[in-house]
Amino acid sequence: MGKAIFKLVIGLAVGSGLWFTAKALGFPSVFQWAFFIYAAIGTVVFLLLDIPSMKPQSGWGAAASVFLFFGVLCVGYGAGASLLPQFDPEDEKGKTARVLSSAKSGNPLDPWKADEVIQRTKELDEKVKELEARIKALGSGQPTVVQPERDPGPRTVGDPMKIGEEQWQLQECYNCHKLRGEGGKKRGPELDNIGTYLTVDQIKQKIMDPKSYMATGFEKEWEKGRMPDKFKDVMSDGEITALAAWLYTFKNTAVDTPIPVKKK
Amino acid sequence: MNIPTRNLVTLLAFLALCLAGVSSVYAQTPGASSLEFPYTGNRAAVWIVAQFHTLLGAFVLGAPIFVVIAEWLGYRKQDLRYDRMAKEVTKITVILFSLTALTGGLFIFVLLATYPQFTTWLINQFYLVFAVIYPLMFILGAIALYAYFYTWDAWKGEKKGRHIALGVLLNLLCLATMFAINGPTSFMNTPVKEEGISPMEALAVATLWDKIANASWMPLNIHRIDGNIAFGGFVVGLIAAYMHMSAKSQEERAYYDWMGFTANLIAVGAMLLQPFTGLLLAYEMCDYDFSFCQYMMVEQLSMFFEMQGAIVGLMFLGCNYYVWLSLRRIQGVEQVRMTVLAPVVMVLFPPVAIWGLTTYWIPEPMSLAILIPLALAPFLLGRFIPMTVSVQTVMKVGFLMVVVSDAIWLTPNGFAATGARMVEDLKLPEAWDFIGKMPTKLGAILSLVFATTINYALYGKAIRQGTIVWGKIDGISQFVLIFLAFTSIWAMGLMGAVRSLLRKYFHTYNLIPDFTAESFTPTLSYSAWLITGITVVFFIVVSVAVFVALRPLELKGREPEGSPVPAGTK
Repeated sequence: MGKAIFKLVIGLAVGSGLWFTAKALGFPSVFQWAFFIYAAIGTVVFLLLDIPSMKPQSGWGAAASVFLFFGVLCVGYGAGASLLPQFDPEDEKGKTARVLSSAKSGNPLDPWKADEVIQRTKELDEKVKELEARIKALGSGQPTVVQPERDPGPRTVGDPMKIGEEQWQLQECYNCHKLRGEGGKKRGPELDNIGTYLTVDQIKQKIMDPKSYMATGFEKEWEKGRMPDKFKDVMSDGEITALAAWLYTFKNTAVDTPIPVKKK
Repeated sequence: MNIPTRNLVTLLAFLALCLAGVSSVYAQTPGASSLEFPYTGNRAAVWIVAQFHTLLGAFVLGAPIFVVIAEWLGYRKQDLRYDRMAKEVTKITVILFSLTALTGGLFIFVLLATYPQFTTWLINQFYLVFAVIYPLMFILGAIALYAYFYTWDAWKGEKKGRHIALGVLLNLLCLATMFAINGPTSFMNTPVKEEGISPMEALAVATLWDKIANASWMPLNIHRIDGNIAFGGFVVGLIAAYMHMSAKSQEERAYYDWMGFTANLIAVGAMLLQPFTGLLLAYEMCDYDFSFCQYMMVEQLSMFFEMQGAIVGLMFLGCNYYVWLSLRRIQGVEQVRMTVLAPVVMVLFPPVAIWGLTTYWIPEPMSLAILIPLALAPFLLGRFIPMTVSVQTVMKVGFLMVVVSDAIWLTPNGFAATGARMVEDLKLPEAWDFIGKMPTKLGAILSLVFATTINYALYGKAIRQGTIVWGKIDGISQFVLIFLAFTSIWAMGLMGAVRSLLRKYFHTYNLIPDFTAESFTPTLSYSAWLITGITVVFFIVVSVAVFVALRPLELKGREPEGSPVPAGTK
């Protein structure tokens, strides 16, 4: 018993030590507690090493113990998994619902007209240039920041910007590219200023053939073909054009988007 | 109905199910809407049947490998215990083989009912595999299994070699069956593709072999062979635990103690390779399409891997604890000592492995040049260092390093379900983000494997130097065997779910989209409870099979060839 108490004290000391060290090193509280739990698990393991021997069980007693043990394992694994952060399936359900509603409304593969998308993009580009000229005339001296509309209202079939943004979400481009401060910035280049460097057609070419352009500083990723070469197969021409057009509107020069180098 | 007739009826039922299933593909109206499976929904229905079939399949494919190894060892060492164990496991395999066949047929029907268009398409792509090769291999495998089982007593003595050869043939047929069905399975994740042309165009010009030998086929084969051996070993350990608990005499307890020990040894040997064959499979899939990697490790499925780290860590703790408990019944274990280098290297291994792999990431060979000498140091240099430590000390350091290594493996980049929505409060600090990276994880896995290998090497040494008293093992050890079997089945279910979920909006990646209402990524919690349920059903089935196959032996009294082994026999 004395040995067990000693081990508990050691475990508590190690756990507390890890907790305070992690705090001092700037780990968020969730990690501090995780380290404490690791120390607790270690303590349980070392307590188990000295547990007194158990006589072999047999008969109904053994059967009852096995049932009880299964119950503990079932609840332990089910509940343990439930304690971890859970992905919200509503996110993906919404995407599938949108695709299905598009399919019901007509052509499931190309519900948006590519020509219309390009025309709309040109109009938006003109607007951007006009705004830039006006800002410069005001003499602000600040980098031009143009953000796409955040909430343009209900989507219509012919709204290329909304379609482009939907494609960004549906294809989960944010997993690798940071945009508007959201998403994984390290796996692919941040795209807030991509419209300054590439035209709609060039962005489209990059999406359809990832090897066509290489972002400066991402040579290794380009060499290994990290960007999936599948979008031309899983997206319609209209969808790719809409996505390219939407990305083209991002011209935030305050963000250090790497310069794309033409490779093909 | 006697056993051969019952097996024949089952086999014929399976054939009828397969043929009816495959031929109904042609009878199907294109565009027919799928059914909504009651209570569970379509995806969960397929999930349950597929996983149950896979678990049974894993056992009936893994057990023959285990059985033939055991039979050969028994023949070589002239130890009748191996032969008895092999025969008992084969008897259970025969029962479960019938169930595998039936659930296989059921699986085809559920697929056809729930996803008719896709199933039709897939069967058309692999018509030769589904209609000819797979059923043929299954039938030949069944014939070989029954022949192997029913010739056991007839082919002994001088004919034993012939019987072992039949067992090898059975294994070759089982492997061919698995390789054949792994073709369509892996194809769904990584179908043929060619640069410069669309996947549909690539598929149009692909031969059947091109479709089978896709990017993830061989890694999946290797992972499943290794996994099936481990799985078979753990399930045999479970059988031994059941029988140990129901043993009426000390000699029976001695035998089932030995059986549990042997099964666990083979299972752990195979399990040590599992993380690496799993990594190879993941590597090939990421190489095929990098978005798989994101989805698995960083995004929607990242917490599935967190759970995997937790349960694999528990398995390593479990198998080391079994060794610890086993040591207690070895007489003279107090005199067994090991070089001090063993615990020193165990402590050094995680930081050196993490540094080496971070600096020289795969495929740079320098990391191996650092790690191999380090891992071999206790074995090669140990004899030149006079300082030694006791078994208990080495094992306690081993336990500490297993906990530390698993803690490193478990610590994620951040405690968020998806990386894209990670916030600073849940993320590792910038200076420590290397903990969440792959080189660190691989270093931790290597450390787990190294600590376990040292413990088992030590155990071997203890057995050689001391006297093992069979039947005197701590009662807790039987629960450890049950725990290991349960956890390995659960882990298999979890990783199988990950492999299937990876396709996300596709039945066949980039080829056949899946925009049905259930094509979303389920929560880890939902998946875990479903996997737990399937594991319980599998346990019930195995328990019934053990009871049906082995209890009559106990009641009647066993035949003389599996002679009792007195407690205390080494």
